[in-house]
Amino acid sequence: MHVAVCIKQVPDTAEVKIDPETNTLVRAGIESMANPYDMTALEEALRLKDKYGAKVTALSMGPPQADSVLRQALSMGADDAVLLSDRAFAGADTLATSYTLSKAIETLGLAQPVDLVLCGKQAIDGDTAQTGPGIAERLGLTQFTYVIDVESIDPDTRRVRVRRKVDGGFEVISGRLPALLSVELELATPRRASLPMLIDSFRAPIKIWDAKAINASLDLVGLKGSPTWVKAIASPQVHRAGPKWDAAQGLSQAVSAAMDTLFSDENFAAAFQKGWKP
Amino acid sequence: MEEKFDVAIVGAGPAGISAACVLADRGAKVIVVERGEYPGSKNMFGGVLYGQSLGRVIPDYAQKSCPIERNIVESRISYLSEEGSIGFAYRDQAFFGKLHNNAFTVGRAKFDRWFAEQARAKGALVVCSTVVTDLLRDGAGRVIGVKTDRADGELHAKVVLLADGINSPLAVKSGFRPEARPESVALAVKELIELPEEVIDERFGVSAGNGVTIEILGSVTLGMNGVAFVYTNRRSISLGIGANLCDFAKQRVRPYEMIERLKLHPAISPLIKGGKPREYLAHWLPEGGWESVPKLFHDGLLIAGDSAMLFNALHREGSNLAMTSGRLAAETILHALEKGDFTSRTLKGYAARMEESFVLKDLKKYRRFPSFLKTHGELFTTLPRGALEALREILTVDDTPKETRRKSAWRAIRGRLTPLGLLRLLFDAWRSIR
Amino acid sequence: MAKNTRGIEVAEIISDKCIACQICIAECPVGAIELNSAGVAEVDPELCVGCGKCFDSCPVNAVRFEKKKRRPFPLEKAAEPGAPQQKTDRGVAVFIETVDGRGAPVSWELTGKAGELARQLDAKVLGFVLGSNVSGVAEEAIAYGCDEVHLVDDPRLSRYLPATFGKALSDLCEKVRPEIFLIGATALGRDLAGAVATRLQTGLTADCTGLFIEKETGLLLMTRPTFGGNIMATIFCQRKRPQMSSVRPRVFAAPQKDGERKGIVSRHKFSPPTVELPEFVQFIPAGDDAATDIVSFPALVVAGRGACDRSSLPLLEELAQLVGGVLACSRPVVQAGLLPYERQVGQTGRTVAPRLYIGVGVSGAVQHLVAIQGAEKILAINSDPNAPIFRVADAGIVGNYQEIVPELIARLRDKRS
Repeated sequence: MHVAVCIKQVPDTAEVKIDPETNTLVRAGIESMANPYDMTALEEALRLKDKYGAKVTALSMGPPQADSVLRQALSMGADDAVLLSDRAFAGADTLATSYTLSKAIETLGLAQPVDLVLCGKQAIDGDTAQTGPGIAERLGLTQFTYVIDVESIDPDTRRVRVRRKVDGGFEVISGRLPALLSVELELATPRRASLPMLIDSFRAPIKIWDAKAINASLDLVGLKGSPTWVKAIASPQVHRAGPKWDAAQGLSQAVSAAMDTLFSDENFAAAFQKGWKP
Repeated sequence: MEEKFDVAIVGAGPAGISAACVLADRGAKVIVVERGEYPGSKNMFGGVLYGQSLGRVIPDYAQKSCPIERNIVESRISYLSEEGSIGFAYRDQAFFGKLHNNAFTVGRAKFDRWFAEQARAKGALVVCSTVVTDLLRDGAGRVIGVKTDRADGELHAKVVLLADGINSPLAVKSGFRPEARPESVALAVKELIELPEEVIDERFGVSAGNGVTIEILGSVTLGMNGVAFVYTNRRSISLGIGANLCDFAKQRVRPYEMIERLKLHPAISPLIKGGKPREYLAHWLPEGGWESVPKLFHDGLLIAGDSAMLFNALHREGSNLAMTSGRLAAETILHALEKGDFTSRTLKGYAARMEESFVLKDLKKYRRFPSFLKTHGELFTTLPRGALEALREILTVDDTPKETRRKSAWRAIRGRLTPLGLLRLLFDAWRSIR
Repeated sequence: MAKNTRGIEVAEIISDKCIACQICIAECPVGAIELNSAGVAEVDPELCVGCGKCFDSCPVNAVRFEKKKRRPFPLEKAAEPGAPQQKTDRGVAVFIETVDGRGAPVSWELTGKAGELARQLDAKVLGFVLGSNVSGVAEEAIAYGCDEVHLVDDPRLSRYLPATFGKALSDLCEKVRPEIFLIGATALGRDLAGAVATRLQTGLTADCTGLFIEKETGLLLMTRPTFGGNIMATIFCQRKRPQMSSVRPRVFAAPQKDGERKGIVSRHKFSPPTVELPEFVQFIPAGDDAATDIVSFPALVVAGRGACDRSSLPLLEELAQLVGGVLACSRPVVQAGLLPYERQVGQTGRTVAPRLYIGVGVSGAVQHLVAIQGAEKILAINSDPNAPIFRVADAGIVGNYQEIVPELIARLRDKRS
């Protein structure tokens, strides 16, 4: 069995902010990291490796520095790592990204067919959750999103059965391989690399594939292949800014003043009194 | 683990990485183990590095896009009382020209990562998020490697270099260094205040990548033995204040209150006006000086940087001592590798090199300085007040004859300090740096 | 302005402004720009030829370059299947998600928005309904503002599968050719939108919180939070159609239902995909606690980092009950294991729009604030007077919540009775 895992290098988004006055990004000392959802996917792939002896290939697209997430994957136990790096890939939106990744998975398949593609539900920088479904669609893979458990894989009948999160509960569903699973964080906790594996990962060769290597059309990758463009960025709007009172200056006055302000809207006050019933 | 390294370095700070660069450059098999998520993530210092000590490790650092914030062209010293300041500023054209980057500011998160990248490029392995939990020893007690918190985490090396900073629990645990006593440690806090580049340029009278450092003494430490500083970065100002840990405990002052107070001081607030606080950091400094430096070499082990308490409290230098000690440790190890002997017999060459270098020479020269500060609390209390009043007397222009003014100026000092006390202060000061 | 050794005035990237969108990297004709280790674009001055393309293309003015006049953005006037759109491309379509044989609320929120957009474009609102026995939903869709409903009613669509729904919906788009296509960003919708956009080879902007028509170009401008909600990006899709956007529930208000509205319902045949479909095994309803759907309550008491204390939960529960709501929380409280993830409000949790929101010890990180924008009234209680939550609150009380909340409970009791 051959499992491909797509891993994105993302900035640690908790630290990215916009200065509201100058409208510039504040990114002092921001670290890049592997998208946590993708690391969960990798952990699941490694479990499949432990269980079924699957071969695990880690795949990432990005500038040459993105090799650090692939090294991390190797240190945890991935067998192979491929970095898709080409200036032509720059500026890709989800459509161009899913195209590029699917071409790479096709290329991987030439050596050994890929049975399972695992990816995180979404990346924490963009939160779009579109790349996985896009890859599945392009490669004609059975698509399972929001996976929280891989219940079984039968290599003989070539079927996979998963539990996925849906509105109001969970769904157990099975389908044929090859399949794509996009996973939730609950699925697994990524393992910590052993020291020898960690050391080896720094020396391991990382394949770098450009557009030509994956036989991708230059019109469909990167900015050229991206229908959506960013027009502008801004800080999220904050509004209202009503009055506030300090409880230290008198607890009961503060509470009653705040309540008076809140219920100064008569309709709102009436609705509250009626227990919100229309 | 089967693999054996020539050198295992604990800590990817200036000392550890300097050593790694020198060693890897000469083909030694080096591994650096860092507990932080990335080099620099757990580190903090005032912000000034020195070009010469870096150049000895990476001669072409400027061409390798070393993340320099500002080249320091002017050094100021400010002596603050509650109400005012007495200052001294030194600016020299030489720092624009031939002494360019004699001293410069950097941000640790950026610089340490860059520095570690240089070591990696030379062939050193730098592994992060890995904590060294213990030293490995053979039957004879010689250090033969380290143990980490990862699975299969033993790492064998011919020599271990401890460069894990002042909090080095490893040095303490292995008995190579006593736990730092509170009186030989300072607690420093620092705030990064963001301002536009042009505003900083204008306020400090500099342009294009040049900057200023201000060392501050006086009443801002609220009578505690300590100093404050203002350093210019490209688009921010580092504002810090530190004092002896003992004094903090005694005075029950909270460090962040001190920094808030400093920000309000009339001599400081105009410099940071309109800036936005971005980061707040705290760190220990080894201030014990010469007396607190432990034995630097053992069988299979060397100690460098803050782990070895190398810090020049008078000149506020630390990073250059760390880098130089790391480099000298590396040179010693290279010699040991040549000889194939890793016992203290060969490794003691490190101590000799250190004694030959400015590092220990300076520390030895100023060995009485820490106790001088400790015993002269008036430096941080009455003296700044007196000095300011005396100057106020002298510089107020009215009908009073100068003779009377001179006398009252003298009274302003003497009222706070007996002539004998003043004499002792001057004598002790002279003796401490003689 | 900086010059390189060849005397060319080169472009420089202001790293604080750069959002690493990499557009300049793709635009640079000489390959002089790369992402540096800090994750922002950097110009190699020796390679730069000073053409200024990066300056023109940067969406956030992060390129320092001396140029007399900046070309108006977007660069190219709408090209190919282009502007002005053909008549057939003029509809604003909405995917009507069905739950238990009825339209999901998010669908009506979108038909309302689609109506606004359609008016500006002089276009029709189209409802796309898929499922089995869903003709009732088509009527509902007209009542909620659709001018035309396109219906694919087929037993094979009784359960959602990305393969079948994706195929049916993209077939429909190719037939009807809407200019704009909106999908609710529910669990189902997010999945489906990605599949449809890929099939149609068009652009999709996920989780939009604002949709506008740009006057000059007629393009749809889509605003969405990115970088974990810390930043709002405005996205557009110039060349491909439809312009697709998914929108989270409760971002827009649903219009009034109007039973008198008239509209056309056209039925379409379902041509299933040829691939082997997955097989549904079973549905497991979520446990009791997890099933509490915080978004359905008219009032929320939200515990934040400042009230992250197990012993305080009963007090906050009491307040929640009193105001006719339920207890929810921000991320630190989930991380501390005090409340399940389902109770989390925020960009990574739920977007909520209750009538009353009471934040207790919630400081108001941006990712939390964007998710409570829709609340009618916000009361904030926090010990830090500078907490950002006060900037979005209708009223605030500064102090220790353990003193304030009991007082508030007492007062609210009076108010209720």
